[in-house]
Amino acid sequence: MENTSSDIRQLNEKIHQASAFVDLLTMELGKVIVGQRYMVERLLIGLLAQGHVLLEGVPGLAKTLSIKSLSSAINAKFSRIQFTPDLLPADVVGTMIYNQQKNEFVVRRGPIFANFILADEINRAPAKVQSALLEAMQERQITIGDTTFKLDEPFLVLATQNPIEQEGTYTLPEAQVDRFMLKVVIGYPTKEEEKLIIRQNLNPEAATPIRPIIQPSDIIEARKLVREVYMDEKIEKYILDIVFATRNPEDYKLNKLKPLIAYGGSPRASINLAWAAKAYAFMKRRGYVIPEDVRNVCFDVMRHRVGLTYEAEAENVTSENILSEILNAVEVP
Amino acid sequence: MERKLNMYKPQVIRRIFLCCLLGLLYPFSLLAQQAVDVTAKADTNSIRIGEQIKLQLTATLTPAQFKDANFKILFPVLPDSLDHFDVVTRTAIDTSVNQDQHILHQTFTLTSFDSGHWEIPPMRFEVITGANATSDSAVTLPIGIDVNTVAVDTTKAFKPIKAVQSVPWSIWDYWLYIAIGITIALVGIGIWWYLRTRPKTEKVVHVPTVSPYEIATQELKVLKEEKLWQQGDIKQYYTRLTDILRTYFEHQFNIAALEQTSEELLQNIKPVTKLNQQRDKLRSLLTIADLAKFAKLQPTADEHEDCMRKAEEILEWTKPKDGPAENVAGEKQQA
Repeated sequence: MENTSSDIRQLNEKIHQASAFVDLLTMELGKVIVGQRYMVERLLIGLLAQGHVLLEGVPGLAKTLSIKSLSSAINAKFSRIQFTPDLLPADVVGTMIYNQQKNEFVVRRGPIFANFILADEINRAPAKVQSALLEAMQERQITIGDTTFKLDEPFLVLATQNPIEQEGTYTLPEAQVDRFMLKVVIGYPTKEEEKLIIRQNLNPEAATPIRPIIQPSDIIEARKLVREVYMDEKIEKYILDIVFATRNPEDYKLNKLKPLIAYGGSPRASINLAWAAKAYAFMKRRGYVIPEDVRNVCFDVMRHRVGLTYEAEAENVTSENILSEILNAVEVP
Repeated sequence: MERKLNMYKPQVIRRIFLCCLLGLLYPFSLLAQQAVDVTAKADTNSIRIGEQIKLQLTATLTPAQFKDANFKILFPVLPDSLDHFDVVTRTAIDTSVNQDQHILHQTFTLTSFDSGHWEIPPMRFEVITGANATSDSAVTLPIGIDVNTVAVDTTKAFKPIKAVQSVPWSIWDYWLYIAIGITIALVGIGIWWYLRTRPKTEKVVHVPTVSPYEIATQELKVLKEEKLWQQGDIKQYYTRLTDILRTYFEHQFNIAALEQTSEELLQNIKPVTKLNQQRDKLRSLLTIADLAKFAKLQPTADEHEDCMRKAEEILEWTKPKDGPAENVAGEKQQA
């Protein structure tokens, strides 16, 4: 059924009320996390759009603190998995162990059975462990032995990668990276922010503990509303234009990008761009998507989905450069 | 007696006939069996140690031998080293004709590093004749060679090794490079001269006959006349209205307005126009347009009229004093 003008107005009002928790959540997280508003915002997008987030940044940028605080603020279960070269899939998903008293095998659930997972340094574990996690992310269920377990909702994986050290790592294959809705690149805090961080750490007694603002069920309700956010056909076309420009840049008068792009965004890129734009519109307390929403999330949704050629790497062209060119060339509706 | 003579007469005649026949065939048989003339000749009989000698082996064949299909002559196969001599090079067997005689020859370059009087040994040629391939040999005479050492006066002191001698520089060693350089320079000067002196064509400067302001005004007029919102096509009305404004900004101020969102446009238009006082009008117009385009908002008739009025006012505020575009040839400002 097509949305009418009054439907959208009602939806807009509904969302305006329902999304009020976003500001409260951001404020609550701001008590312990100085700066990194962008990262927190992206985490919320991932959470509301049922996606997962791949975070790239040097150590010490409050990645663990952010997701831990988020889980506390939502009153959800948090689990941290440190990926190492000797990690096994069973260490992540769980395994069957023998109970001598009962004379039977029982399931021991792995750390993945939580609402928020921090997969720290995901590229340090071999491919089979990465696959186990990424399959769980996609299917949102785990099979141990003969039993299949549904993972608790909301389920959000925040995987981290260190961009500096590459030695002894197992780079995530393109197909696996594509499963992450967002790839967020975070940088160092500003001088002012770092000053506050120092003060906060020197006086930990003064820090206020995070209190639960909402419940996991509220997130599930919010997700339903995110799904309802109105996306006009013009916005859909805009999303498609951006994704298709990564595949066939010459169709958008971007012939110079042709030798730089090895492969463009997959249909999953279009889907995730639409989802993320809706979630962003929800966070901005709107019941409809505008081009700003698409542009705002475009880099984080697309940067890991545009493959670069050797020529691009030789010329130090990044996927961000390519996306900038595309956004500057594709007409906004 | 006469009877006895008559009795021997046939025998005598037969013998005479045989003798005549033999006499006739004898030269041919001699010719066929004639030995091949083979020689080995050195170009010198005396060399200094390490110097080279040209040793030529020759076999002279008669025309009959040459034409005889069964006749073959095999040259000696010399190893790389003979007694006191080393073979430096060897040529292939060559044939030349001299007064009906066919001469086969092969040349060897020999050298020796042993001082003294040495002999190049006799060279054996294999001669194969006849249908049954009868083999025979023909041998050359040995050649005596004196290999002399360099006389060293041991009574004198050793002399130092001479330094590396540099070859005197000569311009002629580089004549080709100099010629190429001069040619390139002349061609370059020629091209430069041609480009400098050729008749210049006047650049046709495209002067826009109609300014972006005029185009936008005209298009707003057409939009008004089309009465889109009156017909219920509100989305199309606002799409056209904002497109007219964006195209105008793009051409008038070289802002990539068509590729920018409303918020970006408001930001980027600030430094290039005196629209500052009118930015609120533009903002409100773009906001209503976005709502109509993306949120199915149905503004009132007054709002439609108001948006059109605001668009016209923005055009009036930003129109250039001189008419044409401010910087048509400039680069588009990238977002």
